[in-house]
Amino acid sequence: MVEADRAEDLGFKWGKTKGRGKKGVGEKQKIVQFYQSFIYDGMEYGLYDCVYMYNEVEPEPYIGKLVKIWENPDKTKKVKVLWFFRPREIAYYLGAEDTAENELFLASGEGVGLANINPLEAIAGKCNVVCTSKDSRNPQPSDEDLRTADFIFYRAFDVGHCKILDKMEEKVAGIEAKLLFNKVDVQKPDVLPKLDSDWKEVGGNALASKETEVPPKQNPSNEHISLKINGVSTDGLQRENADSNASLAKQRSSLGENPASSLGGELDETTKMNDRMENISGDSINLESKIEENLDLKASYINKQKSSLSEHPISSIGGKSEISNTNSRQENISRDKTALRPEAAVKEEGQVGNNIFRIEEKLKSAHDHCELEDRPSKKAKFDSSVKVPGEKNESSVKKLTVDLDGKDAKALAAVTASEVKSRLELAKDSQGAEKDPSKKLKPDEKSKLSYGKLPQASPRQYPDEDKKIDHKVMDITRRPDADKSRWFRAFPWEDRMKSAIEQGTLVLLQNLDPAYTSAEVEDIVWHAFKESCRAKMIQQTSISSPHCVIGFVGQAFAIFKTREAADMVVKKLTKGCLLISNGRPLVGSIGSPCFPEKNPTFFGHLVIDKLRHQMPREMREAVSTSHCSQPNTIEYDMAMEWCLLQERSDLSWKKLYKQQGEELRKLKSSLKSK
Amino acid sequence: MIFFLFYMGSSAAQADYAAFLEKVKRTIYLDHLSPQVTEPVVRTALNQFGAVKNVQFIPNYMGPRNIAECALVEMENVRQAKAVLSEICQFPFMISGMPRPVRARPAQVEMFDERPIKPGRRIQCRWLEENDPDFEVARKMKRLTNKHAAEAAFLQKQQLQEEEKLAKQQLDTLKGNYKKYEMVDSIMADGTARRLARHYNLRVAED
Repeated sequence: MVEADRAEDLGFKWGKTKGRGKKGVGEKQKIVQFYQSFIYDGMEYGLYDCVYMYNEVEPEPYIGKLVKIWENPDKTKKVKVLWFFRPREIAYYLGAEDTAENELFLASGEGVGLANINPLEAIAGKCNVVCTSKDSRNPQPSDEDLRTADFIFYRAFDVGHCKILDKMEEKVAGIEAKLLFNKVDVQKPDVLPKLDSDWKEVGGNALASKETEVPPKQNPSNEHISLKINGVSTDGLQRENADSNASLAKQRSSLGENPASSLGGELDETTKMNDRMENISGDSINLESKIEENLDLKASYINKQKSSLSEHPISSIGGKSEISNTNSRQENISRDKTALRPEAAVKEEGQVGNNIFRIEEKLKSAHDHCELEDRPSKKAKFDSSVKVPGEKNESSVKKLTVDLDGKDAKALAAVTASEVKSRLELAKDSQGAEKDPSKKLKPDEKSKLSYGKLPQASPRQYPDEDKKIDHKVMDITRRPDADKSRWFRAFPWEDRMKSAIEQGTLVLLQNLDPAYTSAEVEDIVWHAFKESCRAKMIQQTSISSPHCVIGFVGQAFAIFKTREAADMVVKKLTKGCLLISNGRPLVGSIGSPCFPEKNPTFFGHLVIDKLRHQMPREMREAVSTSHCSQPNTIEYDMAMEWCLLQERSDLSWKKLYKQQGEELRKLKSSLKSK
Repeated sequence: MIFFLFYMGSSAAQADYAAFLEKVKRTIYLDHLSPQVTEPVVRTALNQFGAVKNVQFIPNYMGPRNIAECALVEMENVRQAKAVLSEICQFPFMISGMPRPVRARPAQVEMFDERPIKPGRRIQCRWLEENDPDFEVARKMKRLTNKHAAEAAFLQKQQLQEEEKLAKQQLDTLKGNYKKYEMVDSIMADGTARRLARHYNLRVAED
């Protein structure tokens, strides 16, 4: 049996087991252990709990319901998550429909975006979602429940038909609706075994058969996912990189599962492959905007999925190590460069001994790509987001040329790899691949790797990349911001500020919570104005941070892309009031920082001129060191005078801030809302 | 309109943040530094108390130009940071100039430039409607913010003036002292002292 506490990290512990399930058929059958609950990071999670799922792209995490928890024989822990949509994500389909601030929509129907399998480690926290559906099966929430709820939901969103459903379906993703409603406080023990059997049946067959017919229906929902991703991608250059991760996280969807189950199951590797496959389709859809085209592509991908299904188990028996090798290699390639994609595929084909079919498919998709990218990115409602990528492209082209010369470290920065560029490459390469598929792959790889990654990499990687991807998802600290800051180290902030002053794009934001970080300020600006900017919190000093912090306001400089944007932000902030959670309205003004001078005067260091002249040369040039002053010198007395002054000044700051804090508190208390 | 920013507390992010807090603990904040002070100077100055890992000056974009410089100095460990703090607090400590001593304090999170986002923090913002009763209050608050900023700037200016005054006064004293010593020196040197002593029949020790 599986011991409950075998988990490697201390923060993790399995809860009750829930029987074993089988994945795969015949000899490759694989037994996985299902669980009812687990403890992760000190928090206990059970089946049907709602959780925040980490995602690297959006500032806000996804929210979903845990519908399946298991551990694979290779000790990877997985959860299947049924998603909730935020109104913002499906705004297009909501139309004029009114939504509550904290309303969510349960995914239902069949299609991409319904549910995904995620590494358990991607769970970012528990989320209290209360169902307010009037459905008779739903235990009605108390007022207290409603008050403490993070989110509520009573409607569902059909990912297949892209419709808002006012009523809950009988089964969602193979799960009975009653399990999706509020939980009865203490689950009766006899409910659980029953779930068990439900599960086996449902998870195995019903789900699968439902989902196998997914392709035609997928498109619309895909579209909205892609919309979302697109919106985000504008957020910052590097986040485009994260795009792909997002699609991994979110789009590792039911689709991935279904070919598996439709074929009756297979090796672990194959499941992973399928995940990947479906990512591929997800990604491509990303770039899609026309539905018919979508259908087209979809069809071809499904084909592909199938063919790969049949071929991969074989190959993995044959020479697994070899394959994983090539795959991981290939993944590097394809990740680093979509242009390489066809070749990489060819290579794999060679190993696996497969047909040329796929190349063609790929070429086709590559084509689609080109077409796609020609079109303005997305829908009207993402106006701003549509605009920004364009700009970005330009800038990133510039950057690229700088970064091209090489260094792998920079390749990361070059993630922004301009679409223009990539498109060219893509076209070129796909031609090349067609003509001479197996031609000198290695040199190619090398030369191209330095171009860095392509954003929104199209039908990216193939199989087994899984491990790495998993790792990526878990590697949660690597926020896109981290890359950003690294990237911009080349351009000192001060220089950027100076040029921003000239262009009038520098804005000083006041009244922020001093604890905010620059990245958070950028996020706030993005959400409030739909403008991206580079922000920098002004670091506190002792003058700005007295011991009573009440009075201190966090300040930040933000550099916008255009003068218009900066003016707009200032105007909006002057006319309107943007209340932040510290209960203060944001104040904005055109910034006019002062820069340190070359030779500023500094009071308090005294030198007697004559002595300086008499000083021997070596002494003057030596790095002047430091010393503690001794109590029997005149210097000590003078130092004491300075200390006195410092103390006095501290006191006056303290007093000033106290008084200001009082004033502010008085005003704050008259605020109605908190 | 309300929106939330939510920074989730994944274990890795928490670990990251915890590591950052550790760094904050072993960092000290130095201020009243002369603008002429450079990183190697600070390094050599504090290396006598422990190993300096990193020195970072905090740029001053807001205040007057001739305000004292400040810096964050990361020591190797918390113990060393404490040693520096107690040393500098006990005795007036001069770095590249006197008699104005530098001052050291424990660093605070907000002083750091690149700091990780605190996991689990939740930020909300909303635009207030014009008919919202809070709108007026918020506007008053904005005005108050500007007023406060002006007050702070004024106080800063005042203090700068005081610093200048003290510096001038000390310089005068110093010059006076120096002049006195110089005079003493010179009368010893040119023999005036000896002549006078003879004149008044005093015995002067020859050194």
